Amino acid sequence: MSTDATRERGRHRDPGATDAERQAKAAHSDRTRAEARLGWYLAGPAFVIMLAVTLYPILQAFYDSLFRYRLTTPDDKAFIWFENYWVILRDGLFWQSVGVTLFITVVTVIVELILGFALALVMHRAIRRLRGLLRTAILVPYGIITVVSAFAWFYAFDINSGYVNHWFDWVPGISPDLNWFAQTGTSLFVIIASEIWKTTPFISLLLLSGLAQVPTDLEEAAEVDGATAWQRFQRVIIPNMKAAIMVAVLFRALDAFRIFDNVFIMTNGANGTTVLSLLAYKTSIGRLEIGLGSAISVLLFLCVILICWIAIKLFKVDLASARGE
Amino acid sequence: MTGTLTGRQRFWWAVITVLVLLWALFPVVSIFATSFKLPSQLNLGLFWPKTWTTSNYEQILVGDAKTLFLSALRNSIGISLIATAIAVVLATLAAYAIGRLDFPGKRLILTAALGVSIFPAISIVTPLFNLWRNIGLYDTWLGLIIPYLSLTLPISIWTLAAFFRQIPWELEQAAQVDGATSWQAFRKAIVPLAAPGVFTTALIAFFIAWNDFVYGISLTSTDRARPVPAALAFFTGASQFEEPTGAISAAAVVVTIPVVILVLLFQRQIVAGLTQGAVKG
Amino acid sequence: MRRRTRLVSTAVAIAVVGGLAACGDSGSSAPTLTWYINPDDGGQAQIAQECTEAAGGAYSIETSVLPRDASSQREQLARRLAAKDSSIDLMSLDPPFIPELAEPGFLAPVPDDVKERVTQDVVAGALAGATWKDELVTVPFWANTQLLWYRKSVAAAAGLDMTQPVTWDQIIDAVRTQDVYLAVQGAKAESLTVWINALVASAGGEIVVNPTADAEHIELGLESDAGREAARIIGTIGKEGLGGPGLPTEDENAGLSVFQGDKGSFMVNWPFVWSATKAGVEDGTLTQALLDDIGWALYPRVDAGAPPGTPYGGINLGVGAFSKHTDLAYEAAECIVTPEHQAYYFSTNGNPASNTAAYSDAAVLEAYPMAPVIRDSLELAVPRPQTPYYNDVSIGLQETWHPPSSVDPDSTPQRSTDFITAVLRGERLL
Repeated sequence: MSTDATRERGRHRDPGATDAERQAKAAHSDRTRAEARLGWYLAGPAFVIMLAVTLYPILQAFYDSLFRYRLTTPDDKAFIWFENYWVILRDGLFWQSVGVTLFITVVTVIVELILGFALALVMHRAIRRLRGLLRTAILVPYGIITVVSAFAWFYAFDINSGYVNHWFDWVPGISPDLNWFAQTGTSLFVIIASEIWKTTPFISLLLLSGLAQVPTDLEEAAEVDGATAWQRFQRVIIPNMKAAIMVAVLFRALDAFRIFDNVFIMTNGANGTTVLSLLAYKTSIGRLEIGLGSAISVLLFLCVILICWIAIKLFKVDLASARGE
Repeated sequence: MTGTLTGRQRFWWAVITVLVLLWALFPVVSIFATSFKLPSQLNLGLFWPKTWTTSNYEQILVGDAKTLFLSALRNSIGISLIATAIAVVLATLAAYAIGRLDFPGKRLILTAALGVSIFPAISIVTPLFNLWRNIGLYDTWLGLIIPYLSLTLPISIWTLAAFFRQIPWELEQAAQVDGATSWQAFRKAIVPLAAPGVFTTALIAFFIAWNDFVYGISLTSTDRARPVPAALAFFTGASQFEEPTGAISAAAVVVTIPVVILVLLFQRQIVAGLTQGAVKG
Repeated sequence: MRRRTRLVSTAVAIAVVGGLAACGDSGSSAPTLTWYINPDDGGQAQIAQECTEAAGGAYSIETSVLPRDASSQREQLARRLAAKDSSIDLMSLDPPFIPELAEPGFLAPVPDDVKERVTQDVVAGALAGATWKDELVTVPFWANTQLLWYRKSVAAAAGLDMTQPVTWDQIIDAVRTQDVYLAVQGAKAESLTVWINALVASAGGEIVVNPTADAEHIELGLESDAGREAARIIGTIGKEGLGGPGLPTEDENAGLSVFQGDKGSFMVNWPFVWSATKAGVEDGTLTQALLDDIGWALYPRVDAGAPPGTPYGGINLGVGAFSKHTDLAYEAAECIVTPEHQAYYFSTNGNPASNTAAYSDAAVLEAYPMAPVIRDSLELAVPRPQTPYYNDVSIGLQETWHPPSSVDPDSTPQRSTDFITAVLRGERLL
């Protein structure tokens, strides 16, 4: 499907371009206004709903975060300015969970980028007969509920109900006595494995769309010139996919940073595996400390914004390319 | 790449296919196997059940956990479908406006969609909980559908905007020349062309709503609205101290079946949707 | 069955005549009471149905299930009650969380006549657990306690005379010499608090000295000989690997698996282990020989000269303060906790009765031959700290006493005291 026609039209529409348009401006202004109105009529509801379900609650969360407010002692509610933030920012547990969250984010993104690229290449190159089968298989983890994935991995590794220890006891360090969920490192390993399994298809599909944009003739020319597969990959494919890779990484990083389900199911934060989302959940929902919990929520939100800002400003991720523009 | 393969290539493709299948399906098979184990045989360290039993399925489909699981299944399906439908309708209108019309604030809408899609659900759960219980939306379908829109709307808008960018709008112009209004032109000329994209978007949005856990555990408390992922924490063994491993596995398999069916039927469309139509064949 | 129903309806009839004759004929449709229950083997739903029938149209009870673990149950209920939810009529409450709900007035006061009837013949531990600030605030339903379960073969090989009270140190020695695993609950969960509390109580101490104080003034009793003794026992088991590799994630269920396994020896656990093991034998997974090898005794002592402070669990019935039918809800609660229902619940679902009358029931003795020991244990049971801040105290303990191998008598009690105190003052996150 060619998009040239639409591109062409789009260029014509750019404001203040040609004389002809300027002349026709008066006649068009009514139409422009009508188009703007229609545009907002059509897009308005979606816009309003999106803002209503996020902007209002986050403002409310910020307001709540300025109070000492515990749900079961409503009489003690008091306005305390930024004291909750002060408490959180001085707390080792908060910084530990920031560290764990970042660790999970970095590891999953790196592994998923490599695995996802391999899968994208497989899907891209596969012959027609295999393509359907491979895609179906790769999409299964994408569609599966994260909680289900968490249980599947948890039961497989659990020292009581699991079989992994029995299968891999020839691997140094693994024995039937290895309790994966008793130490930080091994717990994080399984959490990250489940997260990677579940979300690699997403990243590999984004990369697949990037692969499709690599000009075939360039690749072929390189092949004619005697470039090895690795050289072609390095010199032709990667540079042409830079935008797609950056977008995929950013989206996945932001998603991984919000990890909750896997940790909640597998360790519920034991052995120093508490992530930011879980800390926010435990504080506001578990302990019913609305003020303190809201403050963590606001900080989590700010972290996400910060990551996004860094990616866009420092790494120049072009989000427009995510829309295929 | 459609030509005949050499024997060597054939071999390597076979190896790759097996590896991919193993990687993608192994955890699913694993929980499938667990769902057929007797409670007393869970700890044998075996992959396949020693004796196959359907008692776990009986527990959740006709036994003790029937009301719990079946109502959760009903809630999950109903809420996800409604949230998907609303999101797709609103996103179609918005994406049409973005792809087709020129109006101030286009970029703002796309940026807002992006902003909402990176929003940490956990950050807004507490305020939503307080608001919902004040206005009576706590533990209702609507109380989940609204936050689900924050998950399904942004991706729907983006996917559809990308789809709509590829539609030959000349058709619409032609219709407009024939005297149709913008709305009529949209409905008659564009909707049929856009339908596949809308369908794909609906699938993706449904997966996302179906996957939710945070809102499900925080904004519900009874059978009235509790979705399946949240209900898994309510299963119990023969006594409260016994792990409901079997029941959870069986429920996990049941809720995975629709996913597998949808993926089997529509893998091409889903891939096209997620890669924004950029994929061949 | 018929006999029981008749007994119940008589009891209810008396109650109705006592207070609510007018209510009976004014409403044409009987009010539906919602009872939030913890997940079980169907027993509470069955009792609800029987009580609905027995009420003869005065009310009907509908059950709604809560999450499996106690702290999630508390979360759900506390959040709904804080929202003044009128749909909560009856609740199955885990005792440690009762003060938190009683303090802000989330529980409807128990009428004096009900108080008198539902406290008759109730074991001491259950009464203590249903009370807050010397006032009965809930109706005792069933009361749980942990016993010491042992493999007769292992005890014999270690030369332990199980007819006499045994101490933790004796058990630790036996496990060391026999190269077996001791099954205790070392997972970072509520069950760890149960263990710590029982050890501290058995050593003659208490975790919270002044449980009715407000958050700023709560004082912990861990920095004492009792606290250090508890830390010594947990630390020894953890450091020496006596609990096996699964200890840091071992909950009640996992503990049972260890106990049933090749290296099973001693275990502290709730009575469900008996019915679960019997079910395993019926499935053909476990052998009859294993079942025959299992013995039981009172919870181990810390101090050879003093009886243990045994763990106390179970469920009490609370009535929501915002319910539209608190009077009917108390009526229903009385119906639910009749000794007959408790005996039925005990023998079918394995949840021991709080009423001593149920312990002479033939079906109970048939299903649980250790019922008399359970009853004795309940008389010694010590509730976990009864403070409105129990949740923070319990999670604070789990945070500082986990994994068991990190527990040290010289540092852990102090560390956890400092931590919990700071959390309660709002200076630390949990």
